[in-house]
Amino acid sequence: MTKPEERDDPRRGIERELKRGTLELIVLHLLAPGEAYGYEIVSELTAETNGALEVTDGTLYPVLYRLERAGSVDVRWETPERGVPRKYYRITPAGRAELAALTREWTTFSKAMTKLLQKERKVR
Amino acid sequence: MKLADDYIRSVTHCLPPAGPMRARIEMELRVIVAEQLERGRDLDDVLRQLGDPLTLAESYLASAPLVTAPLKRRIGAKLADMAFVGIAIVPALVMAGRALQPEMAALVVVAGLIGGAVGFGAGTIGMEYWLGQTPGKRLLGLQVVRESGAAISLGQSIVRQIPILLQMYWIDVLFAFFTPRRQRAFELLSKTRVVMVTPTSDRSAGEAGGTSNA
Repeated sequence: MTKPEERDDPRRGIERELKRGTLELIVLHLLAPGEAYGYEIVSELTAETNGALEVTDGTLYPVLYRLERAGSVDVRWETPERGVPRKYYRITPAGRAELAALTREWTTFSKAMTKLLQKERKVR
Repeated sequence: MKLADDYIRSVTHCLPPAGPMRARIEMELRVIVAEQLERGRDLDDVLRQLGDPLTLAESYLASAPLVTAPLKRRIGAKLADMAFVGIAIVPALVMAGRALQPEMAALVVVAGLIGGAVGFGAGTIGMEYWLGQTPGKRLLGLQVVRESGAAISLGQSIVRQIPILLQMYWIDVLFAFFTPRRQRAFELLSKTRVVMVTPTSDRSAGEAGGTSNA
């Protein structure tokens, strides 16, 4: 659970806002090569970014639910003989279109930010 | 599994009681928890990862955009509720009026009307809190939620009905004609809204809130 001091720290605030804004893009991107289940998405994300983009289950699953309801991902249940059923997520054609649009938007934004921050500013 | 059950219940209790969402999210969370436990993780850790129940509920709620109930429907629902109460009370009052002396009958009618009004207010408070809707709202596919889409608290349900209990309902209702989300004054105050119960397949709702190819 989020501690109050974490909520109030402005630096954690921007990190949280950035994650919140890009999580759909991140999840769709990770689902692009093929189907996966929730745990795979979390661990892949943590491993590939050395923990910088680590997400909690409480953040990831609502995003998957939202993508499912919006028709961007399809789900498939797999029920093993023993153990609990597992829910696999797969990107749909609508999801791929969404992924392309979000990727374009992110690239434009990120390029603009980099350009802005790299430019040296004279003291006025 | 009591701890897990309690956690899941406190999440689903934040979701609106009307509509299919509670059942869906409950199932979703059961599978998530079971899967993590099977992987050998500690239950405390699993629940910590899922986070604060209200925050989690509100993250799920973000997937279903709220659709403001049109005023016509709301008026229809209110008239239906009044008709239900009328059907219950009026015959009893008419019978009392016939059976009793005129003075006594007048007293009984006045008491009946006051009792009916108080019962109407109290019933609305209880039903909107426990069920998220009154029979009239159910008939017309409406429900009462917080501005985040979560289920309302008992306190909010009471504040919503204060204008009825204080006989200032009509002034309160006028606000709904001018506020963007069609909220009465005491709905603004209690931070609640009346919205459409989202249909079972909410794909169209998802599309409305999401994709743009700009």
